[in-house]
Amino acid sequence: MATRKQTPVVAAVPVAAGDADLRLAEAEGVVDYDVNLQSLGQWQLAWKKFRRSRMALLGVAMLAGLVGMAIFVPLFPGMQFDFYAVPNPDVITYAGRPPSLQHIFGETGGLQRDVFQLVANGARLSLFVGFMAMFIAVFLGTIVGAFAGYFGGFADNVLMRIVDVFLSLPLLFVILVASRFFGNGNPLLIVIIFGLFSWMGVSRLVRSLFLSLREQDFVEAARAVGVSDKRIAFRHILPNALSPIIVVASLTVAGIIIAESFVSYLGFGISTLTPTWGNILSNALTFIPQGNWWWPFFPGLFIVLTVLSVNFIGDGLRDALDPRTRA
Amino acid sequence: MGTYILRRLLQAIPVLFGITIVVYGILLAAPGGPTARFANNPRVTAADREKFKKAWGLDQPIPIQYCRWMGFCNPNVDGYSLTMFVSDQGVPQFLPAGLGGGDNGVIHGDFGISIETGEPVSVRIQRAIVPTLILAGTALVLWLTLAIFIGVVAAVKRGGVFDNVSTVFSYVGYAIPTFWLGLMLIYFFAGPGLDIFPASGMTDTRKFPAFGTDAYWTKFLAQPVAALTDLGRHLVLPVVTLVVVNIAGDSRFVRASMLESLNQDYVRTARAKGLSQRVVTFRHALRNAMLPVVTNIGLEIPFLLTGAIVTETIFSWPGVGRLTITATNSFDYPTLMGLLLIAAVATVIANLIADVTYAVIDPRIKY
Amino acid sequence: MTEVTAPASPRAVAPGTPVASVPPAPDVLLELRGLRTEFRTMDGIVRAVDGVDYAVRVGKSLGVVGESGSGKSVTALTVMRLLESNATTTGEVWFGGRELLGMSGHDIEALRGSEMAMIFQEPLTSLNPVFTVGDQIAEQVRRHKKVSKKEAWGQAIEAIRLVGIPSPERRVKQYPHELSGGMRQRVMIAMALSCEPKLLIADEPTTALDVTIQAQILELLKEIQARTGSALLLITHDLGVVAEMVDEVVVMYGGQVVERGPVEEVLIRPSAPYTVGLIESIPSVEKRGGRLHAIKGVVANPFNLPPACRFEPRCPYAWELCRTEAPPLVQISDSQVARCHLHTPAGADRRPGLEMDRARLIASEPGPVAVRP
Repeated sequence: MATRKQTPVVAAVPVAAGDADLRLAEAEGVVDYDVNLQSLGQWQLAWKKFRRSRMALLGVAMLAGLVGMAIFVPLFPGMQFDFYAVPNPDVITYAGRPPSLQHIFGETGGLQRDVFQLVANGARLSLFVGFMAMFIAVFLGTIVGAFAGYFGGFADNVLMRIVDVFLSLPLLFVILVASRFFGNGNPLLIVIIFGLFSWMGVSRLVRSLFLSLREQDFVEAARAVGVSDKRIAFRHILPNALSPIIVVASLTVAGIIIAESFVSYLGFGISTLTPTWGNILSNALTFIPQGNWWWPFFPGLFIVLTVLSVNFIGDGLRDALDPRTRA
Repeated sequence: MGTYILRRLLQAIPVLFGITIVVYGILLAAPGGPTARFANNPRVTAADREKFKKAWGLDQPIPIQYCRWMGFCNPNVDGYSLTMFVSDQGVPQFLPAGLGGGDNGVIHGDFGISIETGEPVSVRIQRAIVPTLILAGTALVLWLTLAIFIGVVAAVKRGGVFDNVSTVFSYVGYAIPTFWLGLMLIYFFAGPGLDIFPASGMTDTRKFPAFGTDAYWTKFLAQPVAALTDLGRHLVLPVVTLVVVNIAGDSRFVRASMLESLNQDYVRTARAKGLSQRVVTFRHALRNAMLPVVTNIGLEIPFLLTGAIVTETIFSWPGVGRLTITATNSFDYPTLMGLLLIAAVATVIANLIADVTYAVIDPRIKY
Repeated sequence: MTEVTAPASPRAVAPGTPVASVPPAPDVLLELRGLRTEFRTMDGIVRAVDGVDYAVRVGKSLGVVGESGSGKSVTALTVMRLLESNATTTGEVWFGGRELLGMSGHDIEALRGSEMAMIFQEPLTSLNPVFTVGDQIAEQVRRHKKVSKKEAWGQAIEAIRLVGIPSPERRVKQYPHELSGGMRQRVMIAMALSCEPKLLIADEPTTALDVTIQAQILELLKEIQARTGSALLLITHDLGVVAEMVDEVVVMYGGQVVERGPVEEVLIRPSAPYTVGLIESIPSVEKRGGRLHAIKGVVANPFNLPPACRFEPRCPYAWELCRTEAPPLVQISDSQVARCHLHTPAGADRRPGLEMDRARLIASEPGPVAVRP
């Protein structure tokens, strides 16, 4: 971005009568405007644009709040989740008390756990699954896509057929089945499964990015100097492809969090030994006829807030990283 | 055009094979294997498990099981050998039964027997398809119509109140998990003491027999209005759930497409020709904006067959989605494979239709 | 002065509100008076057009010359009222005895395409890709004339024939992407002429075309003008085009008119330093071996215009007055005006510098400016 300051003309060339010199030629020492060009780097420019978007900032604030809740609340006394701690062993089918000062999100039915405690603890795992699985997916997808896009030809064909096969699977179906059969309630396995089934979209995007970027002149220049293919792909092209990848990554998190909540809700995901927002909800349905609305409401609310915040950030990133939008 | 379609179909076949192989592998390679359903049952002995496996052909190596399921291998021949490809009548197994081939397997139209209920898988699926079509079909039509309307209006009046409000709703709607919305709706409309809309099932079992049975259709013909009202009341909550969540993404897509179209030079030319704003928007801009939207719609069609898994579960809707869940819960491999195959075929065909439609409606595309 | 907000449909003045000024003489088809157009952007308000006056007579042609950012295209879009909603326009635009800026959207839509028509720079993106060219022409015909579909189609075929496209019956059923660039532009011209407009506005019609095709299109425009008697407003950055095509020329810089007059007079006796610079910049065979001349500096940034004379930073004749006082539009002769202090009494003793450069310029050129093919 250029900042222009107006300074007086340094030396005016006198226009004298009889001066046959071409005034139209360059005159020495004449400065029109003092142009102070401050070029911002690509990332600084993006950060500036990002800061401008109120929505994106709101998203960051919300996400920070959620992460803060996940990290800090369970550290407080009474807020740890203990699967085996049953507050009131005599009462089994009690529908649970509504939100009150003691239990700000109310109590669950059955075992009468504090819903806020559940939500805060659930945040840990749900957020963890969302982000970890996203990293796996993006990592895999980028490597596959970069390989296919850069080398093209046979490798590209084979890889893309594989991607097609995976994409033709009804994903929810397969995730459900895989989680049930392989995951066995284990959070780490579930994370891996989610990551394994989310990389395809990323790989397609990365592939098309690489396909277009490798035709650019800077690649040809690098090759002419003798830079190896691998180095070109990772050191030269990849940094240029980063922006759309980042955007897709942020939007993938939202998808994964919702998918995890589905799968856990159905009982196929993470076992109830450790709470996630999804598996908290799985027992809640039966208590609705007894009037307990807060048990399912709050975990779901937090899912909505998380997804919203991630989407806001993702959209903000997309606008900020788009070279066409002005700072 | 015909050659294009043919080529695409031929390309689809290996993809379909690949899909079936992948999922078959996942299903059967799962820890515990096919007898996992008995894992928690102490009365089932090891011997019982062996008998079970033998009866269902689960003692064979997985590739042979896959081969039999597809219909290329003779189920009466055990173990690896070349004769496994040959039918009892001595001809290649994959030929139609009429020619002496087998009558088992997908290519012969046999999806196997459900481990859970003992019925043929195809019967179970058939029974579940109609309810899914009713639910998913209604929801799809409704949300598409609304999404197009909302997207177009928001784009035309960009920055206005409608645009801002619908944008907020879109973001929120997109973030809501389907099942959570379903639960909340159930609480509000069918919660304790309330009966505004029913919370489960397709029909009021006190008044009507189960949907799909002959008894139901007899009663339906006898009292069509009452039956339709009953069905309608049961449809409301699940359809609303699906519509709210799905309309968000589609309406923003329509809006983006419409905005892009409105920014094009030819819109300015159309105005320069003296055409009214209405004609410019709806004839010139909209027509171009609909191109990517139509393709997108094509890709959503498989939803009609795979069903809304979670919504059907919450509302106990007897459709394909719920069938998927119960089959997964009971480790019913044959049913799951049948469902999967249908879903895969639907997806592949939907992709093909989407591409072909795009080629047809956009004159710039040469196939 | 009527103050209105573009675009066409909403207008701030009730129809029928009497306009303060007097309409121009009947032989003046289009007249702009004090036209100012501002855009509200994220970075502030930009005044793209700042006090522009010119006129086109019935059946005559006017060329508007300027660099990108001079406001020449925006002026034309303002006349047609095709600007976006973030634009504010003041001033008056008189067309055929009616004031356009105060007109209702309905009335403007009736005029557009029928009495005044416009062709744009990029024919590929300016034509709708999903309709055949025949469709698009026929649509305009049916909008303005009460004819049947078949008749409109027939007129479309005729229009395509008249712009010199062979086998029009076949072409009329084709889509824009199936035609070459030159043919697309001809189709645009055909579309514009389909309702016999009194004024044809051409916004850089040849910029996006091959050089050889450029000549053909310009020929076509001239021929059509001769045949139909319509007036032509030609916007271009190319002085060579202007020399061949128009009767009168307007030179714009930084949103203002810096010179205006009959084309021979402006080219032989350029009076604004900018015009002199433009002419000097035209390469020609005579200058072979010498250095190409370019006007030093960069085009004025509309967000950051010089305080007084907008051309001052780049002007070889500028002095202190040019930095403190904005130059007026001075009458050089009966028909020519130029915006420069050199032609006011204050600049009298500096004027010979300009005149000598001008003389040298003309002397080295054979006749009026060498025309580019």
